[in-house]
This record gives sequence, structure tokens and C-alpha cells, in this order.
Amino acid sequence: MNTVFQIGLTVLMFGSLFSVLTLSLNLQYARGGMINFGTVAYFAAGAYAYAIVTQEPPHGLDQYLVGLDMPWWVGFIAAGIAAMAFAILTGWPTLRLRGEYLALTTFAFAEMLNSLLVNERGIGNGTVGLANVERPDANILGLSENIVYALAAFALMLATAYAFRRLLASPYGRAVDAIRDDEVAAQAIGKDIARLRFQVFVISSIPIGFAGALYAMITTLVNPDLFSAEVTFFVWIALVLGGERTLLGVVIGTMALVGFQEVIRAIPFESVRAAEIAASAEDIVTGILFIVILRWQPFSALARRRQAA
Amino acid sequence: MTRDLLVVDKVTKRFGGLKAVGGDAGLSFSVPEGTFLGLIGPNGAGKSTTFNLISGVLKPTSGAVILDGKDLSVARPSDIASYGLGRTFQTPRAFPSLTVLENVMVGADNEGETLLSVLRGGWRSRERALRAKAGEVLDRVGLTERINDVVANLSGGELRMLEVARQLVRDPRILLLDEPTAGVDPSLQAKLSRILVDLHAEGRTLVVVEHNLHFLLQIADSVVVLQNGELLSKGTPGEIKADEKVIAAYLGADHAA
Ligand SMILES: Nc1ncnc2c1ncn2[C@@H]1O[C@H](COP(=O)(O)OP(=O)(O)OP(=O)(O)O)[C@@H](O)[C@H]1O
Ligand SMILES: [Mg+2]
Repeated sequence: MNTVFQIGLTVLMFGSLFSVLTLSLNLQYARGGMINFGTVAYFAAGAYAYAIVTQEPPHGLDQYLVGLDMPWWVGFIAAGIAAMAFAILTGWPTLRLRGEYLALTTFAFAEMLNSLLVNERGIGNGTVGLANVERPDANILGLSENIVYALAAFALMLATAYAFRRLLASPYGRAVDAIRDDEVAAQAIGKDIARLRFQVFVISSIPIGFAGALYAMITTLVNPDLFSAEVTFFVWIALVLGGERTLLGVVIGTMALVGFQEVIRAIPFESVRAAEIAASAEDIVTGILFIVILRWQPFSALARRRQAA
Repeated sequence: MTRDLLVVDKVTKRFGGLKAVGGDAGLSFSVPEGTFLGLIGPNGAGKSTTFNLISGVLKPTSGAVILDGKDLSVARPSDIASYGLGRTFQTPRAFPSLTVLENVMVGADNEGETLLSVLRGGWRSRERALRAKAGEVLDRVGLTERINDVVANLSGGELRMLEVARQLVRDPRILLLDEPTAGVDPSLQAKLSRILVDLHAEGRTLVVVEHNLHFLLQIADSVVVLQNGELLSKGTPGEIKADEKVIAAYLGADHAA
């Protein structure tokens, strides 16, 4: 019973957290028609920004150069701004690119950021990363920290879904849909497609930054390994799994994928060998899942909100 | 003399070696404000390409397009649209993920489409007015019954009318229509003819490409004839009908076919 509760809590926590990423990706891809294969970079930008803003100035063996020792909420806001800034930086030169070119460029930007974090030790101690990331005292209402962070992640997910819904239900969302459907026709009615796509790209990266901050609080550690391309693939699989039609589907897909991984991890293995086999089985199953889903829901058909009845 | 709203000045367009528009000297014609200009010519004469050059979908190889005194050489299609130019496409374009009504509403220049307005939430009241206006325009083009339909259920002719409606809701100063009657059934054609006559009477400037000369020559007040991308003739419908060159090149070819 206790393990079931623990697994449920972990799924709620990380499921909600990664749902924020999937929701953002959904806005960029299913509505904005932009393929971002560098999702993890905005997440990393948020996590590192949070750590750097809240940590103490360097001393002793620290290689990092900046620690601002600010309160957690300043770090949280900084995380959103950092992700947004990275989106402006990467979106400006690339958003004119079509489909797979945009995918490749965003992927390359994410790899560049990753190697920057590894090699420029002044940012975050290189591969060692930043340990003991500050986090607010979560012992409120007598709840355990895990419960509080799970609820915080859930709240962030709800806020993100609400904000995106509001955006998409407005005339703004209608214009975004029109651009994705037919750029030439949208231009013929005066829609500035460069402006709208850029805005969608930048806006949707902000919650990813917030999620990065929360992730850093939960793990109390940020290092380049945590922000590899695997995270990007993970959110893409979750998005495809849940289908891009509704925000709820997006969330359910993410929860299901996190749940699947947590359950496998929770199995008590007799030997190291068995655990290894289970770990590779998890990778293989995830891969097969991805292929199977792509087979029946190819990218082109994905970007449709309402198909012909 | 009314002033020229649109000036096409020595424009050429080449696709590789093909001189699609303007030949060597360049194509020139102007559209005074309030005119109803017909643009005709055989298949491949460069009519649609001329529309694409005016609306910024294509950029001229040489020469200039001037709208209301503004040189459009560096303007994007969306800028040109916001200067007051509306256009339809020879192959109708629609937004499949929007309903018929939304397809028209999205056409309006809408302050509700800014992020600030989404944050403030003040777009709702304007949305009501826009919905009413879109409804009127759809009524005008005979699509009232299709208002909540998805565009996939529309016929080719209805798609054409939908595109006209999407442009009308923007109140363009000058409207370019590329073969608006193609695939449109006769009752809708009559409706379209009436709409064009009304728009003309309202003082709007129209440029219409049509193969259906019977339809066009009745309602246009001047006509430009293209052949192989070059100006073959221009004049009133009466003059064009009597022009030997036009009869030989266009009507003759048409009759022969
Ligand atoms: N994007 C393009 N690339 C290459 N050639 C093109 C392109 N667009 C048009 N053309 C060529 O330019 C010429 C003029 O084409 P255009 O479509 O403007 O003719 P049109 O007068 O509209 O003919 P139609 O009556 O058949 O619509 C044709 O020879 C066409 O094949
Ligand atoms: Mg044509």
C-alpha cells in the first residue's frame, strides 16, 4: 500500500511536471505547426537559472562564477525569463525554417547548450553540476515535502493548461490555427506569420522554464546529464501517445508514460543483471511504442485540430 | 481624372528561362481608384502570375508595383494585405481546421489577435460584432446554411465563395479575384455578379481574372488583355470585343478549342 502511494505520488509529481513540457510542445507543434526537437534546452535553461539565482556565491572548490543568493521565488521567475530568453535567441534565426529543418536546428541548439554546460565550468561546475540547490521550506500544513512538491507541480500544470486554453480560445488562437493550416492564405488576409509564430514559440517556452525551476527544487541537483536529448524524446513520445487533440489527452499521455516508467523502476529485482535487463526492456518498449504510434499517426496528420467530420 | 490606386510599372517575371510576365520590355498598366478592371488572356498568359506579383506572393524580376503611392518591392504579402489589398486564389484556399464562420471571421483585421488583448480579455465584445458581420457577408455569398459546417464539406464553388467572403469581411480597398466563377453553379454566379456590381457601385476597386467573358464583359468597365505575359490590348469591353488582335489571339483560340 505504501509503495503504491509512493509511486502514485511520484507519477503525480513528475507526470505533472513533464505535462507542462508536453503542453508547451503541443502548443508549438499541434497548433503552431513548429517542430521543436530541442525542448530540453528550455527546461535546462530554467533549471540552471533557478539554481544560479538562488545559490550562494562560489567558495572553496566551486568552479561556478555566479551565485546570487536570492529567494526561491526570484529564482522561479528568473527561470521563466531564462527559458524565454533562450527561445528568443534560438527562435529568431530559425523560425523561418520549415518542418524538419526547424527540428534539426532546434536539436542542434539544445546539443550546443548541453556542451556549453559541460565545458564552461563557470556556469554550473561542468559535468559535476550544481548540488544542494536551494529550495523553499515545504513543510506547510504538516504535509510531507513530496506531497507539497507534487501539488506544486500539479498546480503549475493546471496554470499552464489554463493559460494556453485561454490563448487558443481567443481570436489570437484562431489566427494561429489559420497560419498553421495555410500560410499563403493567412498572409493574404494580413496575418503576420513571422510575428505570430515567434510569439507562440516564445510564450510556450516560459512554462518549460518554470518546470525547470521546479525540477531543480525537487531533485536539488542540476547537471548536464539530467538535460540530455532523452528528455526531448520523452516529451515527444508522451505527446504522440496522448494525441494532440485535447489538452487533457496530452496530460494523460504524459502521466501514462511516467507511470509506465515508474512501475518498471519499482519492481524489486533479485539481481543487478535482472535490473539491467529491465532497464533495457524499458528503453526498447518505449522505442517500440514510439514507432508503433508514429506508424498509425504520422506527423502530417497530427497537426489537425478538427478533422473533417 | 481619378488617381491610380494600383500601378504595375514595367514588371517582368521569369521562371528560369521562361518569361512568364512582361516579356523583355515589362508589363505596365494602372488601375484608377473605383474601376472594375477585367484581366483576360489565354491559358498560361500570366494572369495569375500577375496577381501573385501584385499581392507579393512573388517578387518581380524587374519593375515595380505601386499601391496607393507605396512601392511594394520590399513589402511582405501580409503587409500588402494590410495596406488594403484583398485577393483570392485560382485554386481556392481555406483553413480546414476552422468552421465556415471562423474561416470568414479570421479574415478581419482584428485587434483581438494581439497578446495584450488576450491578457486583457477585451476581445469578447468585438467578437460578437465580428460574428454578426461575418454572418452578413456569408449571407451575401449564399453560404448562410453552411455557417457551422467544416470546410471539407463544401463544394469547389462554395469554397470559392467562402474565399470571397473572407476577403469581403476585411473591407479591402482593392480586390483581386482569380477566376471567381470557375466551378460555381449558375445561380451562385448570378449572385456573384450582383455582388461585384454592388461593390463597384460602392466605389471599390476590382480586378477580376475570368475565362467566362460573357460574365466579365457585361460588368467590367475596362479590360486588359494579356498574351504570353505581354499586354496585347486594353480598352472598354466594347473595344475589346471589336479588337481584331484579341479575337485572333484569344477568342479565336477559344472558338477553335
Ligand atoms: N511558380 C512557377 N514556376 C514556374 N513557372 C510558372 C510558375 N507559375 C507560373 N508559371 C508559368 O508561367 C506562365 C504563366 O502562368 P499563369 O498561371 O500566370 O497563367 P494564367 O494566365 O493564370 O493561366 P490560366 O488561365 O491557365 O490560369 C505559365 O507558362 C506557367 O506555366
Ligand atoms: Mg491563372
